[in-house]
Amino acid sequence: MQQRPEDAMEEVEAAAGPELGFWLAARRRLAPDDPFFAAGDLERELLAKHLALDLSEDDRNQLEKMEVASTCTVFCPIAGCGAHLGCLEDFEDHYVTRHSASCSVCSRVYPTSRLLSIHVSEAHDSYFQAKVARGFPMYECLVEGCGVKLKSYKSRQQHLIDKHQFPKSFEFFKKARPSQRQRQKSQRRPTAHKGEEARDNSMDVDGKGTRQTNWKYRPKQHDHKESKENERQHQEAKENEMEVEQKIDELTSAVSKLSTADSTPANVTFGHRRSRGLTFVPRSIRQNKQPASQPEAK
Amino acid sequence: MRAKRVCRAPLSGSDEAAMEEGDMVIDEEKANLEARTTQAVEELKSALSTQGKGAQKKKIEVLRALRRLLSQSEVPPVEAAIKAGAIPLLVQYLSFGSSDEQLLEAAWCLTNIAAGEPEETKSLLPALPLLIAHLGEKSSTLVAEQCAWAIGNVAGEGADLRSKLLAQGALWPLARLMLSNKGSTARTAAWALSNLIKGPDPKAVNELITIDGVLNAIIRNLEKADEELATEVAWVVVYLSALSEKATSLIVRSSVPQLLIGRLLASENLQLLIPVLRSLGNLVAGDAYMVDSVLTVGNSITDQAVSSLIKCLKSDSRVLKKEASWAMSNIAAGSLEHKKLIFSSEATPLLMHLLATAQFDIRREAAYTLGNLCVVPAGNAAPPNIIVDHLVAIVNGGALPGFINLVRSADIESARLGLQFLELVMRGYPNGQGPQLVEREDGIDAMERFQFHENELMRNMANGLVDKYFGEDYGLE
Repeated sequence: MQQRPEDAMEEVEAAAGPELGFWLAARRRLAPDDPFFAAGDLERELLAKHLALDLSEDDRNQLEKMEVASTCTVFCPIAGCGAHLGCLEDFEDHYVTRHSASCSVCSRVYPTSRLLSIHVSEAHDSYFQAKVARGFPMYECLVEGCGVKLKSYKSRQQHLIDKHQFPKSFEFFKKARPSQRQRQKSQRRPTAHKGEEARDNSMDVDGKGTRQTNWKYRPKQHDHKESKENERQHQEAKENEMEVEQKIDELTSAVSKLSTADSTPANVTFGHRRSRGLTFVPRSIRQNKQPASQPEAK
Repeated sequence: MRAKRVCRAPLSGSDEAAMEEGDMVIDEEKANLEARTTQAVEELKSALSTQGKGAQKKKIEVLRALRRLLSQSEVPPVEAAIKAGAIPLLVQYLSFGSSDEQLLEAAWCLTNIAAGEPEETKSLLPALPLLIAHLGEKSSTLVAEQCAWAIGNVAGEGADLRSKLLAQGALWPLARLMLSNKGSTARTAAWALSNLIKGPDPKAVNELITIDGVLNAIIRNLEKADEELATEVAWVVVYLSALSEKATSLIVRSSVPQLLIGRLLASENLQLLIPVLRSLGNLVAGDAYMVDSVLTVGNSITDQAVSSLIKCLKSDSRVLKKEASWAMSNIAAGSLEHKKLIFSSEATPLLMHLLATAQFDIRREAAYTLGNLCVVPAGNAAPPNIIVDHLVAIVNGGALPGFINLVRSADIESARLGLQFLELVMRGYPNGQGPQLVEREDGIDAMERFQFHENELMRNMANGLVDKYFGEDYGLE
């Protein structure tokens, strides 16, 4: 079996279904003019012309980079970005700089400032919710340039699936998934911690500060874990309450508790929060959700 | 890629080599140089019509003057020469019956003109038939060698010129020259040949392998020749093995694989190692016979092959590391025995280290290899079977961050590779620990990047994995 990467992509699709691609252990053949060989070809010419002797390590790296870059350019694959990058190494920096728009309220991170602003409106703006309640179509289509606005979260979702071929499992708002420890705790103490709300809010102010700093840099593994640990303690009480509220009030009451001045975090998010590991929603909860009103719980 | 070479010094064995005095003329002002060149071409013209006693001597003198300008200047004044009309004149100097000395000088001038910019190389078109003709067996070896050099430069320019040369019959005489006993001639011919056959049209390689004596000459040179000659011959093998299935099939059944491996183990010369390694890589990739029948586990050639690739993985050269990883990945795509052999060798820790620390292109090849070591293909639509021991060792050895980094990259192929490896881990790591391990290394984070990726397949793949492994049941006891 021999195949080029492009063919392998198709084979994966055919063999394993569109969603799960399986590892294909197969020989890969490359054409002699494949960019893969560019570095070796360059080296051949440098050595033949004895230029190699006169070049420093840095010069060589530069030269190699130029040769390789001239044959392949990298484009940012985030939809709507199209930024042209000199080389693959630049992509991570680009991603962190350009696609890490963070919400100042809940620290969720989005790949574009437009999506961030949509999130802020939909999740933290009671004015937005008021207009929704009065029947205005407020939920913008997430695809840039489409312009369509829908009256409910769900109908917007359907529009994305129908018109823009989004996968059915896509969720702009994902509930934060509490960790195992928190679930166990809430199972042991089912009564609401409403009394702690005031305390939670004040904790939030502190929590918010820590979290905001965290997202700026790509945290190193150990730093990340440290801040996670610190926050876990702050958040735990809040999240127990949050979880309980979800069970009792479902979604409607959450809306009235929100305001832009409120510093409490949304626990329903799209995208990752650098300060937390898990933001995934159990499928069953997603399917049962009534997103006509905001899925926030405080 | 600039595959042309300027001829600066007289060919070895020529009279010039003995008497040549010139140092490089540096700091020659460009305008001055151009003026002198134009002048030289003028004299070339007038010398053609000179008759009588000193005529031949005069011709050599003027040729030499132009040749020196074109070979001793740091930047040869090629454009000026062409503008002044050198090419048609030089074609005349190449006419049949001219003295060897004259042919040599004229061919040398053309060689260096052909080493210029693309348009400059193309201007040699009128000279091609004569250059090819003078490759013939009736020519003196030196003349043939110089003409071969000029043709090599022309061939190095591009596919169109290669077609022209092939159509005009350049292949056979060059192949014959490669069989020469004179080292420098064989070397120049091999180099020119490698430029001529590099494709993308496989016609040339398919024809070359049928020429009597070529494969034997390749074998002989790989075995015995000095490193310079072996290097150029290896490049011929590179293109034969990359472009021609017929050639590859013949080569893998000959002693060439063993000779390549031998050279790889014995030499420290990067110039030689590159084409030798690449040839080996092409053979392994191109013909199942290589991995299935030549590199059978248990044969000493196989152990040597793995050792030679390990040697490359350890080298400082980025090219060797990358291409050796590629070759290794293709052997790791072989039988279970192959996977066990490689896994238990020094290769695994080396590849893990490369996956964690090397440049992107090397990391990707290392990833291919490590992943290939962990799976055995199942039936057509079924998920591959996982070699749990290998997977566990590789993950425990710290390979996950490297794969997750690939998931993050802008390169679709690498991202897909990373996701596929994560699938293996989450499906196959014992006691269902896979997902936790992936989460711990920010794998979920990386997969979430695909939610707004422009590629639907990637979005679906990533979402599918997240849904499957981080769904409702995740984290429950």
